[in-house]
Amino acid sequence: MKLNIYTITVLSFLFFAPLFVTGQSSNDIFRAAGTPHNPKVSIAFNKYYTAEGLAALSKKIADAHPNLVKRKSIGKSTKGRDIWMMAITDYSVGDPDRKPAFYVDGNIHSNEIQGGEICTYTAWYLTEGFKDIDYIKEMLRDRIFYIVPTINPDARNDYMKEANTPHSPRAGLIALDDDSDGLFDEDGYDDLDGDGSITQMRRKSPNGNFIIDPQDPRRMIQISPDDIVTAQRYEFLGNEGIDNDGDGRINEDVYGYYDPNRDWGWKWQPDYIQRGAYKYPFSAPETRAVADFILKHPNIAGAQSYHNSGGMILRGPGAQEDVSTYNRADIRIYDAIGKKGAELLPGYRYLTVYKDLYSVFGGELDWFYGGRGIYTFSNEIFTSYAYYKKNNGGQDERYKAAKDLLLGDAFTKWKSFNHPTFGEIEIGGFKKNFGRATPGFLLEEECHRNMVFTFYHAFHMPHLSIDAITEKSLGGGLKEITATIKNDRLIPTHASQDLKYKIERPDFVSISGGKVMAGMIVNNDDFNVTTEQKTNPEKIKVENIPGNSVIKVRWIVKGGSKYKVTVDSAKGGYITKSL
Amino acid sequence: MKKRLLPLIGCLSILCTSVLFSQQDYRNSNQINSALRALVSRHSSNASLKSLTKTIGNKDIWALTLSNGKADNNPAIAIVGGVEGNHLLGVELTVKLAENILNNHKDILENTTFYIFPNMSPDATEQYFRKLKYERIGNAKKTDDDRDGVVNEDGYEDLNNDNLITLIRVEDPTGDYKVLEDDERIMVKADTKKGEKGNYKVFSEGIDNDHDGVFNEDGEGGVAFNKNLTYNFPYFKPGAGEHPVSEKEHRALLDFLYEKWNVFSVLTFGPANNLSTPLKYNAPNAKKRVVTSILKEDENLNKFISETYNKITETKEAPKSITKGGGFFEWSYFHFGKLAMSTPAWWPSKIKGDSITKPSKNPKASFLQWANEEGITDVFVDWTEIKHPDFPNQKVEVGGIVPFKMLNPPYQKIDTIAKKHTDFVLEIAKIQPSVSFNNLKTEVLGSGLTRITVDLYNSGLIPTHTEMGTRSRWLRKINVRLKLAKGQEVISGNKFQLIDAIGEDDTMQLTWLIKGKGNLQIEAGAPHTGTEKTTIKL
Repeated sequence: MKLNIYTITVLSFLFFAPLFVTGQSSNDIFRAAGTPHNPKVSIAFNKYYTAEGLAALSKKIADAHPNLVKRKSIGKSTKGRDIWMMAITDYSVGDPDRKPAFYVDGNIHSNEIQGGEICTYTAWYLTEGFKDIDYIKEMLRDRIFYIVPTINPDARNDYMKEANTPHSPRAGLIALDDDSDGLFDEDGYDDLDGDGSITQMRRKSPNGNFIIDPQDPRRMIQISPDDIVTAQRYEFLGNEGIDNDGDGRINEDVYGYYDPNRDWGWKWQPDYIQRGAYKYPFSAPETRAVADFILKHPNIAGAQSYHNSGGMILRGPGAQEDVSTYNRADIRIYDAIGKKGAELLPGYRYLTVYKDLYSVFGGELDWFYGGRGIYTFSNEIFTSYAYYKKNNGGQDERYKAAKDLLLGDAFTKWKSFNHPTFGEIEIGGFKKNFGRATPGFLLEEECHRNMVFTFYHAFHMPHLSIDAITEKSLGGGLKEITATIKNDRLIPTHASQDLKYKIERPDFVSISGGKVMAGMIVNNDDFNVTTEQKTNPEKIKVENIPGNSVIKVRWIVKGGSKYKVTVDSAKGGYITKSL
Repeated sequence: MKKRLLPLIGCLSILCTSVLFSQQDYRNSNQINSALRALVSRHSSNASLKSLTKTIGNKDIWALTLSNGKADNNPAIAIVGGVEGNHLLGVELTVKLAENILNNHKDILENTTFYIFPNMSPDATEQYFRKLKYERIGNAKKTDDDRDGVVNEDGYEDLNNDNLITLIRVEDPTGDYKVLEDDERIMVKADTKKGEKGNYKVFSEGIDNDHDGVFNEDGEGGVAFNKNLTYNFPYFKPGAGEHPVSEKEHRALLDFLYEKWNVFSVLTFGPANNLSTPLKYNAPNAKKRVVTSILKEDENLNKFISETYNKITETKEAPKSITKGGGFFEWSYFHFGKLAMSTPAWWPSKIKGDSITKPSKNPKASFLQWANEEGITDVFVDWTEIKHPDFPNQKVEVGGIVPFKMLNPPYQKIDTIAKKHTDFVLEIAKIQPSVSFNNLKTEVLGSGLTRITVDLYNSGLIPTHTEMGTRSRWLRKINVRLKLAKGQEVISGNKFQLIDAIGEDDTMQLTWLIKGKGNLQIEAGAPHTGTEKTTIKL
């Protein structure tokens, strides 16, 4: 009897333990609308995860949902870390490799970390929402998502674990000689006060241009030429650091410097034209891994990359010189999706890189679109709009938010320090996790809103169906078979950039079941205007199946009966229908 | 026993090929490989051979280094052959140049290193040695050249069974071509603006296998080495590749060169030619963000180098330089920033002519005139009528210039060409950038203070940095460094400083005020200019 009670206790402990660990029994929670209920995998979205943290989460998601997720490394980083990708779809329906695909990545810039969490949230939402959200069910029936939470795992970790500002490192971890002295990355930042962030150095100086704000000791005020100053003057000495290599300069050869987002193969330019370019397109192993993956997956019809910050939904062209690449037809599609994004993401603006941000060559979104014909956006995550849900911003608001909303957590108070070159100085300022990275209490919202934006984009990837197959007898044993192919979403099977360069092969519409005497594209059914394809008429090459429209293909067939029509489109998928 | 004999036989066969027989024709990959290996084993202290990668066609990309044993310590010239797969001459020249330097001019290696890449298109050059000869430039990658979703569906056919791919011409009043007046064997486009009308269609030899109206547009294409680099990349053109630097051989070569900080110059054997005629400066194009003109200072340098080339090689009347985008030569200047030199090294010279025969302005006709004068007979396949399935009711003939002949001279001429180009390369090495200290002056100011003044002099006739090189992060600036002894202190001047460039035969004066006694070391230079050290006793 005793033994039994013991067994029951142990068993019940084992049985309930997972629920206790995830927090609640399902009896104790109430569904919040729009969020997967009682998920198999619990993840807190009010914190950030290192590369290993993200890898562990993607593994948990994949392990919990083997029928929805295949997890795979698409390559190795500079320091040998795996770049993990989750391929998410309903594997029980259709050929996963032939479904129109949506690609998402994050963290191309090391310090722009939110993409890792947004990607993870997206993967989590797709898998946990599948069972009871119809929208997700349909999405995963028709589409596949390739999600790469970080394409820069080495430097993500460096940003989190090493001495950095909110802006560093932007580069990956390939060492470069920025100051042309033959040494590589020999003089980076130094966390002199040991707070884990690189903040500012200031020194008392009778000739300094700054004083401490009497109303807020965190702040420095610049002195105007007419000011009569009686308070202690200070001078700024830049970011925390020492002259590591004894060359008379401080922090002049930090990590890199190259920019992984200047390393892509559309209109790439070298460093002297485009600062940040490395050796040649895809010369950094991380970007190469992504490019190779994209080239192997011609089914990718839409893509998203995540940066920070500023609250922007960006489309190309990156460079002023590349304006002509983006033509009217494609811009209309970009506009439709981008404007929806601005509605879904309050505080975000839909902008064009070259004219609203800066004119830049070799960016990821330009290669995706210019080089592969994939409609792609880059979102700059987080804007100070989020603090008080209104536009205004400015420095005052940052200081206010840091004090009132973050309760002082984001600021290192000024403290004195004995610097080897500058002598007695003070170190302090905003920590690296403030300003660009979304504060914890706002992160889940930011993840969700960005995710639904990508869903809207993914929803509008080409969605093909064989709307009708009609048969008409022409006499003499000849039949005219006409197939109507419909694309009921916004995005065509070929972007106009794609058509211009024939980047992707044409769509093939073929028939089997009879002897094909002739085949043609029907340009105008009412007036019987057709264009005949003289060779291989059973497999008609269709240049494009535009968005929200139909195309018609016709064959003249002798004999046979069970006609089967197949549409084989790289970006639109593979479908068949029999008459 | 057998194993021991093998090397012997190997040596013998090398001896045989080099002594007993003189080579009669261009060498294939295997022959080039053994020539390289033999060269390196004969000169093991001055030459080393490394395979940078293997192409998709499983051919090695060789890097042959010639040096005094410390390759990284001297300024270096990179020499690149096989830039276009139909230019066999370039491959031979790089090998012969290496042989000439090692056999006859080893002393040059005391001050200059050579990185030689004999063949960047080994998959393509092999087509010359196959049964069916045509001028292939692409590597062995499978490509869908017309981007229609079907790979290699319309290649060449040898319609007259001569193992050569030439041309077909079809008599057709709708055609755009006509025969050239100077030489009726040559087909040219009719110029309607001059009142001419075409009466022929001209295609490369083959049939329209996929009946799309275009001939041979998607055969064994591959990616061409000289179309796949970053400058002015020809997006989605046949042979360009899906993006710049997409192929293993490109990455291997560029990775090698980017890590060799001592390279100051790149010599390309290929269709671009800035040695016969220098590049011209164009102010608007030089001032745009994306620079497409040689820069002003570099124009002057190119002019000087070109004069040197023309004098030493005694060449003239070169055909127009060919640069079509994605090219290696353009990369070596516009994106790598080095002293960039390129030449096809040979071209048929124009005949003098007489009262009856005038030298033709048409390059093909001019070539045939030259061949005729030289008594070379195997350069043209005479037009012969054939039956062609695509033109059942029309007169179709096969004919044209034999592949490779216009770009590659008869093999016997190569030694002379190689010698002249060796002399040119030796001259470039002699005038290479080279910094040294001159006019060192120490003034004792008393109380332990010494003022040091020294001229840093570039004795080369080539500036330390091309103007383009001063913009590039891949040419290191001149580093000037003081190494202070214990107790020494810099009172004025920089302990470490960078100099952007020193012109040819030019100096930069350096000065410091030092407090203290003992030995003070000054070091100045960059990997591609050599580094000079001097010690001053204070």
